[in-house]
Amino acid sequence: MSINPDLAVKTGPLNLKNPVLLASGTCGYGIELQGFVDLEKLGGIVVKGLSLEPRSGNPPPRLMETPCGLLNSIGLENVGVDRFISDKLPALSALDTAVIVNILGDSVRDYQELAGILDQVRGIDAIEVNISCPNVRAGGAAFGSDPDMASEVTAAVRKATSLPLIVKLSPNVTDITLIARAVEHAGADAISLINTLLGMSIDIKARRPVLANTFGGLSGPAIKPVALRMVWQAVRAVNIPVIGIGGIQNASDALEFLLAGAAAVQVGTATLVDPLVSVQILEGIRMYMKETGISDISGLPI
Amino acid sequence: MKYLDVRGLVVAHGQVGPGTHILGIRAPEIRKGAKPGQFCMIDLKPPGAIDPLLRRPLSIHRVGPKGLLIFMYKVVGRGTALLSQLSPGGSLRILGPLGNGFRIDQSRPGLLIGGGIGTAPLVFLSEAWPKDVEQVAIIGGRTRADIEYAARCLEDTPSRVHLATDDGSLGHKGPVTDLMSRAMEMFEGRSPVVYSCGPGPMLKAVARMAADFNLECQVSLEARMACGMGLCLGCAVPGSRGDDSADSGYLHVCREGPVFRADQVSWEDYPCP
Ligand SMILES: Cc1cc2nc3c(=O)[nH]c(=O)nc-3n(C[C@H](O)[C@H](O)[C@H](O)COP(=O)(O)OP(=O)(O)OC[C@H]3O[C@@H](n4cnc5c(N)ncnc54)[C@H](O)[C@@H]3O)c2cc1C
Ligand SMILES: Cc1cc2nc3c(=O)[nH]c(=O)nc-3n(C[C@H](O)[C@H](O)[C@H](O)COP(=O)(O)O)c2cc1C
Repeated sequence: MSINPDLAVKTGPLNLKNPVLLASGTCGYGIELQGFVDLEKLGGIVVKGLSLEPRSGNPPPRLMETPCGLLNSIGLENVGVDRFISDKLPALSALDTAVIVNILGDSVRDYQELAGILDQVRGIDAIEVNISCPNVRAGGAAFGSDPDMASEVTAAVRKATSLPLIVKLSPNVTDITLIARAVEHAGADAISLINTLLGMSIDIKARRPVLANTFGGLSGPAIKPVALRMVWQAVRAVNIPVIGIGGIQNASDALEFLLAGAAAVQVGTATLVDPLVSVQILEGIRMYMKETGISDISGLPI
Repeated sequence: MKYLDVRGLVVAHGQVGPGTHILGIRAPEIRKGAKPGQFCMIDLKPPGAIDPLLRRPLSIHRVGPKGLLIFMYKVVGRGTALLSQLSPGGSLRILGPLGNGFRIDQSRPGLLIGGGIGTAPLVFLSEAWPKDVEQVAIIGGRTRADIEYAARCLEDTPSRVHLATDDGSLGHKGPVTDLMSRAMEMFEGRSPVVYSCGPGPMLKAVARMAADFNLECQVSLEARMACGMGLCLGCAVPGSRGDDSADSGYLHVCREGPVFRADQVSWEDYPCP
């Protein structure tokens, strides 16, 4: 019997037509891919992280390829929330796919203010809070490295918006379940993980770090086993939906996350190499469901 | 969006100098829209493999009939070494044409200045050059073998070609900028537009000299790149203050370039390893 699987996903208050999203920082503001990738096939697009003011990012070199991975230190370059709303959002929100806005800040107030601004704007389906940024006021430790700071940011954003709220966790912690539970209790509707793993590379000829910023975030296939383990742990620690991210290159990678219990997945670095891959991943998930006789996406977790 | 991601058949591949190869790929869909100065992202992995992860950017060196795209590249690391082992008959995924090419000013003569492997895109430019517009080319390199092939390509075009090498084994002994000031005399008072590609220090010197002569100068830049499509913002180069296209202070080679007006670039901050 041939079945037509239902891929629609409910991640808390956010409805997605399917579980495949583009990850922040790897799809620009979405519109860069318009006309090339059939974006309306996807569950959603998470745009490049936005701050209150435009940011210029880090000096080059910003990239280094590593075995099966990519180190980046873009430094959160972005056009700022105002220009995003005026220049990018109109074309993006006209698409029939979920628009998720990723935000970042130096202080709890930054996040709160950003969420307040976005709350008033039409065409945004959810906010994703990047808590891998340094808390400038608190000595520069990442918000996401400490359950109290993570919870403070989440609560502040929660107060400022009624939009579905996803908190994106940093993997650079000892126990991911502590942070996951903290943001759940502070009002997150869903969590997504993982952001990049902190890493570095040294040029032995020049005898200095390759990246101008010394450190960068590692992404790509190299991080998938770590990401999958953390998603597995987070799924079992919280009662809100978990979105899996990290090293997803193809449908079988995505299925590992969905079987681990992720409600949806985000494709990051793979899009940089193969811009059409997210649509192929979606088709591969559909095929797997047909072949295994699973009619509803909620039947995937093991 | 005018670029495409296709699988192209490798129809020619051979060495033309020390560590320097030319690669011919049949990709009619990309060839059709390709302009001088644009580049492609070439995937070096066999299907299904995940390493080396990223595609490599290569400028379009020439185009030919039946959808032929030709690249000229130098082996500098693992990716280009792998590429050099690929035999004709194989195929590669190729994304392009990407970026903004040279903007040919039909009203003024052209002065094409290439250094080493940076001559690659200038051959396409020279071959696509409008017939009734004068062009002069200056090619420089470390030694004869580095520039011999590119020089021959250009000598087959209407361009008047001048050569320079650091060791004097071919043409003038010294940097291309020596020939640049001499070439100025050949234009007899008419200001040419400079179109240049090559290593950072050379571009910096060319840009400075062009500014001294008050010439418009276009430069094709390189930076470590991941996507080639403006998605990751990785290929940043410092923009000059007051330039609108560098809305963050940085220009992105793939999206706003790879060809820039020299005055868009902040040369003091430009990394020249
Ligand atoms: C728009 C553009 C057009 C280019 N056109 C040509 C061309 O026509 N012919 C050609 O030979 N090369 C060209 N390059 C450079 C070429 O992309 C690099 O030499 C190549 O990516 C190196 O790959 P690799 O794996 O062999 O070296 P790696 O092992 O990755 O690196 C070896 C060395 O190459 C440098 N490098 C690595 N990646 C890049 C990069 N993306 N850009 C510049 N330097 C890099 C590194 O600094 C390092 O020193 C171009 C680059 C850009 C950005
Ligand atoms: C170039 C680049 C830029 C990124 N920028 C952001 C960002 O602005 N905000 C964010 O939350 N995550 C950012 N990320 C992290 C990704 O969204 C993703 O969490 C991470 O890369 C792991 O997934 P992957 O292995 O599929 O790439 C970025 C990643 C890369 C490679």
